[in-house]
Amino acid sequence: MKVKIELFGASREFSKNNLIEFNVSNNIKIKDIREEMMKYLDQNFSGNENYKKIVKSSAFCSQDNKIVSDNYKITENEKIGIIPPIGGG
Amino acid sequence: MLHTKIIDIKEKKISLKEAEEFISSSDYGASIYFTGTVRNQNNNKSVIGITYDSHDDLVLKSFKEIYEETEKKLNIQNKAVFIEHAKGYLNLGEISIIIAIACKHRDQAYLLSRYVIEEIKKRSPIWKKEHYTDNQSDWLKGNPIIHEKN
Repeated sequence: MKVKIELFGASREFSKNNLIEFNVSNNIKIKDIREEMMKYLDQNFSGNENYKKIVKSSAFCSQDNKIVSDNYKITENEKIGIIPPIGGG
Repeated sequence: MLHTKIIDIKEKKISLKEAEEFISSSDYGASIYFTGTVRNQNNNKSVIGITYDSHDDLVLKSFKEIYEETEKKLNIQNKAVFIEHAKGYLNLGEISIIIAIACKHRDQAYLLSRYVIEEIKKRSPIWKKEHYTDNQSDWLKGNPIIHEKN
């Protein structure tokens, strides 16, 4: 199934499209998406450690705008947001 | 009474006048305007501007939650709160956030104003990318949002 990851803050540097799409197996969870993102960074940014730190320290939000845990099950075509550490105002 | 909005800076600027109109009422005897503006120095670097990014839906949700919880946490029932945050590129001195508060008494107004900005800093998904005089730019390190347990 396809999962879209919408990028915010520092994670926008991961793609010019502000979005990364993964083809993954069914019943995938947020923790699996973290791993997919790590692989993506290995492949596209030579494993940039600063970028990996962003993924490790980020929360994720579901399509209905809830911050979800690593055990959250993602549904097909769901758009997930990656929420890096925040600091506005 | 609550007003919240994310202002896309390409479309309009944040306006203190609108904040004043919203909180103005003879019900309240104390009002406070807090503005955050872009300053020219941070971490020994010369800043020329900041790009603000936000997850709009989550930010507005967090503003509402912060407003609603002040009733119990601060015991302030009767209040007007106006919160607007900018999104996009801001030059030095431009306003990134307005928090306008009106309450019956000044102690409530000071308390509420401080509470709202501190909670926004902790909880609202807003990010800053600073731009420097040497043409470099950096996303500022922030505080992780706490993951839910389940």
